Amino acid sequence: MKTYLHIYMNALAVVLLLMTSCVAHPDVPSTSKDSSDLPAIFPDYCDVTIPYNIAPLNFMLPEGEYDACVARFTTPDGVQQTYGSGVKVMIPETEWRAMMGESKDKSIRVEVWGKKSGEWYAFRPFEIHVASDPIDEYVSYRLIDPTYVAWSRMEIAQRNVTNFEESKIFNNEITSNDRKIGQCINCHSYQNYKTDNMLFHVRLSNASTIIVNDGEISRVNLKRDYTISSGVYPSWHPTEKIIAFSTDLTRQAFHTSNPNKIEVYDLESDMIMYDIETDSVYIVSNDPELLEIYPTWSHDGKYLYYCKSVPLPEEMRDQDIRTTYQKVQYNLYRRSFESATRSFGEEELVYDAASKDKSVTLPRVSPDGKYIMFAQGQYGCFHIRHSDGDIVCLPIGDKLPLDATEEGEASPFIDLSKFNSEGFADSYPSWSSNGRWIMCSSRRGDGIFSRLFYSYFKDGKVEKAFMLPQEDPELNTFRLRCYNRPEFMVEPVTISVAEFSKVFPK
Amino acid sequence: MITKSKIIDVLLYASLLIFIVFAVFILCINQDVLYTAHERSEFLIGAHFFYDLMAKPFGLFQYIGGWLSQFLYNPVVGSCMLLGIWGLIYIVGGKAFKLKGSATAVMLLPIAFLLTSLVDLGYWIYDFTVRGYWFSQSVAYLVMLLLLWVARCTPRRWHLVWYVIGLGLYPFFGWFAMLFVICLILTEKPTWSEIIGIVLLVFTAIIWRALLYSDVKMEEVVMAGLPRFVTPSDQNDILSIPFWLVGVVSILIVLAGKYLANKFVPVVCAIAGIIFTISFMYRDNNYTAEMRMMRSAEADKWGEVLDIFTESQKPTISMVMLKNLALMNEGGILDRSFKMGNDINGIYNPDSVHVSFLEIASPVTYYNYGMFNEGFRLNFECGEQTGFSPIYLKMLSRCAFANGELEVVDRFVKLLHGHPYYRDWQPAPVAENVKELHNSYKDELTGVENSDSYVINSISCWYDSDSKVASEQALFFSMLRCDSRRFWASLKHYINLHQGEEFPVHAQEAYIMYYDKSPEEKKMRLPVSQDIYDNYNKFWATLESLIKSGMSQKEIPDKMRDEFGGTYWYYNIFAKKIAR
Repeated sequence: MKTYLHIYMNALAVVLLLMTSCVAHPDVPSTSKDSSDLPAIFPDYCDVTIPYNIAPLNFMLPEGEYDACVARFTTPDGVQQTYGSGVKVMIPETEWRAMMGESKDKSIRVEVWGKKSGEWYAFRPFEIHVASDPIDEYVSYRLIDPTYVAWSRMEIAQRNVTNFEESKIFNNEITSNDRKIGQCINCHSYQNYKTDNMLFHVRLSNASTIIVNDGEISRVNLKRDYTISSGVYPSWHPTEKIIAFSTDLTRQAFHTSNPNKIEVYDLESDMIMYDIETDSVYIVSNDPELLEIYPTWSHDGKYLYYCKSVPLPEEMRDQDIRTTYQKVQYNLYRRSFESATRSFGEEELVYDAASKDKSVTLPRVSPDGKYIMFAQGQYGCFHIRHSDGDIVCLPIGDKLPLDATEEGEASPFIDLSKFNSEGFADSYPSWSSNGRWIMCSSRRGDGIFSRLFYSYFKDGKVEKAFMLPQEDPELNTFRLRCYNRPEFMVEPVTISVAEFSKVFPK
Repeated sequence: MITKSKIIDVLLYASLLIFIVFAVFILCINQDVLYTAHERSEFLIGAHFFYDLMAKPFGLFQYIGGWLSQFLYNPVVGSCMLLGIWGLIYIVGGKAFKLKGSATAVMLLPIAFLLTSLVDLGYWIYDFTVRGYWFSQSVAYLVMLLLLWVARCTPRRWHLVWYVIGLGLYPFFGWFAMLFVICLILTEKPTWSEIIGIVLLVFTAIIWRALLYSDVKMEEVVMAGLPRFVTPSDQNDILSIPFWLVGVVSILIVLAGKYLANKFVPVVCAIAGIIFTISFMYRDNNYTAEMRMMRSAEADKWGEVLDIFTESQKPTISMVMLKNLALMNEGGILDRSFKMGNDINGIYNPDSVHVSFLEIASPVTYYNYGMFNEGFRLNFECGEQTGFSPIYLKMLSRCAFANGELEVVDRFVKLLHGHPYYRDWQPAPVAENVKELHNSYKDELTGVENSDSYVINSISCWYDSDSKVASEQALFFSMLRCDSRRFWASLKHYINLHQGEEFPVHAQEAYIMYYDKSPEEKKMRLPVSQDIYDNYNKFWATLESLIKSGMSQKEIPDKMRDEFGGTYWYYNIFAKKIAR
């Protein structure tokens, strides 16, 4: 049925487009003043590396500051084309595809002119490097308000990143029958980037985990007498029908004047493993003194990585967490896993963040198993709310902890300075299925609204991040929601919202 | 000689004139409501908002209604637009229903219902979530009538096509598409084609949900566009009555059109419409006073806020809080606040919708007390629930601006600049005392403190701040909370920071009272005016004599109000407090 909706909406969009505008191929200004600066385009696509199959990188000059914008794209074969309508540069998909086809493993030169107070300025040209490594065609994310206790319009959406098609996987309204309590949908996860085995979680009214197992939808309650909650942060085993979860008693509180505004923390958290075929929940780890969170499987399923807090100083242990939250820090650990016996080995310290006065969250192992990426901040487990939150990447070697170096050895940390922002939260890192593209959700821009950013990753080298392109670049400004917990997918979720809603109580 | 036709004409035009005058009068006395309507109506620029609305049936008219609602910024312009649309409904309705002469006056009834729907909301205006409410129903009804007119001009055999067209327009017209088809079916004696139309009608919503709206709740697709008044905690079906009546009357006109050619029809319709509107209209002085105070407070016109408050007999919590904000800005809060009154009266709220200070005045209040994070959060949450209307966009911009988050300001200001009346809007500079209060505010983690008392409790915690403004507010709010422990702490700090200044009247009153209540604590010795001291003794003597005379607890405050109503003692003993 979603297809019908798309046809309907697209037809409307086409009619509106025809009514309002045509694709503009304007002339390049005959006279202009040269500027040595790069154009202040939004989003910033200057000198980025992109996959050849990405949607057109539409951009704009700041409205109000400029009256018009013209951009000339020159492909490696010398073909030139100009675009510009008002201050926006919006490239038709067919023309963009042709440009990409000509530019694989090469670069497109982009010249931008901006008109200000009747005068044209020619900015310093930049390049867009086109990698021949494709990006996974789909990404899913939760669209949520950057607010705290109101969430009635929450949805999990999927986007085809090779064009601009966005559709709902599930929304919060259709099954929210208890208006007083409300319903919160979150933490979606897929097995091996595919959607025939996937899940998402529902809290408050209709609390449950919605699991799709080989295309069959079921609604299960993972709360057991011996667990502190139902499953929260999930990770599918790459080959087995088992899912690791953390179980959490999560709370949030609000800063009265700190720019971070909000703090999310756990009072308790453990780890469980759910066997779909036997509907069994196993305790993986439940240290009563410490907090275990964010399990993630290695690429081959032989290790379970996770974060675990370090003990608080003795004098702080009985204090309210609202006074000690800045001392809660997590290290990265792993345990080997034997799938035949469903048994775990001993715990190994993978990365000692606390010794650096840092805290690790959300680890993700690269598909080739060579690297591990995670979000790191000074404290806590929710760095998307911390302006110092950054993504960190380390090669996975034989020696643990991974950051341990002998004297004279170079730092093992991968340089992610082109991927991270300065002074804004970067979190939810993930790898594309081919390991060539990394993605994060970042509040760069204004510190409030998170958007998705991608970087090219090859042999430990990372290129400048670029924002998920939108058909209208202003959508990034006008959409008052955050992109939360993004996940790469190689195929779309084909189950409709209505089909998902059938497993909920009427 | 006065002919019969002249009598008919006179009755018709007199009825029309009376109704028009009435409608204009009703709109005139609701100018504050209409201004508030624009402030609480979401319309955002960009395709995203359009597509969001179009993803639900009736979204197109909600979009149009939202766009038109912007013009209610100037209530006169908005009123003229509404009157124009209703005038067209009258004319086109006459054609669509084939009404002639006196019978045309029956169109006054749907117009009266539409007028009523704008003025019967009461406190739902702060909490309902129907986008484009103020114009969408009138515009959609007008377009439906146009369609009906055109359809009835075509040969009878084409009606089946019109049924299909009508139901095909359901995504745009919602329930008006169904009304159109019903009206068309009822214009003639049923044939097989009418029966097909009726069958189609029954399944319309189901068909369209299956085709387009599978991610929308069935209840939102059935009778789409008919306003429903539902919040997480409340539901009101009465407010939907005017819209049901629009539908019912339209159907009755079709069925009984030929019986309407009576000279008294205009008189009856005009009177019925007037009585209906008056019966359903929400009218309360505090309701509009709160709106006017909010408008003035947003513009930092604190003198106006005080003037409006002074006119009020029984102020609500929102009015009291805004008045105290005004006194903070105008000066003299500890000399004037209790004289002006801090006794809280409940809002007149027959619907019992859960609306309080939080929805009405807290967006401005939090900002002006320097609580920018709370202000941002509260405004965003209100926006998330009821739409990012101008009031929330403005306050979000102001909170972000005060916090130095200029990129955030830019985002909200861009959205506001899409509004025809806010093209040049920029957040006002942050007042010095607002900055001072903000700087007095220590960072701490709080819970989900969305209660009326939160702001009061928070401010009364500022007793150890080095700011003169904050120390004054801390002292005042400790008095408002009748919290003697915080009073003494705040007073000590206040006196240290205000050396050489006059001891404010209300602070003296509170000082005498708390000293008298717990002399053993011997907190501080401060000079107190003899007049105040004598008056304090007189207050207790009067109270004692009234109790001895056998006067009831309910009568005593009324008896003492004239003489002592402006004192802190009266507030402390008798007033209904904001919160503790």
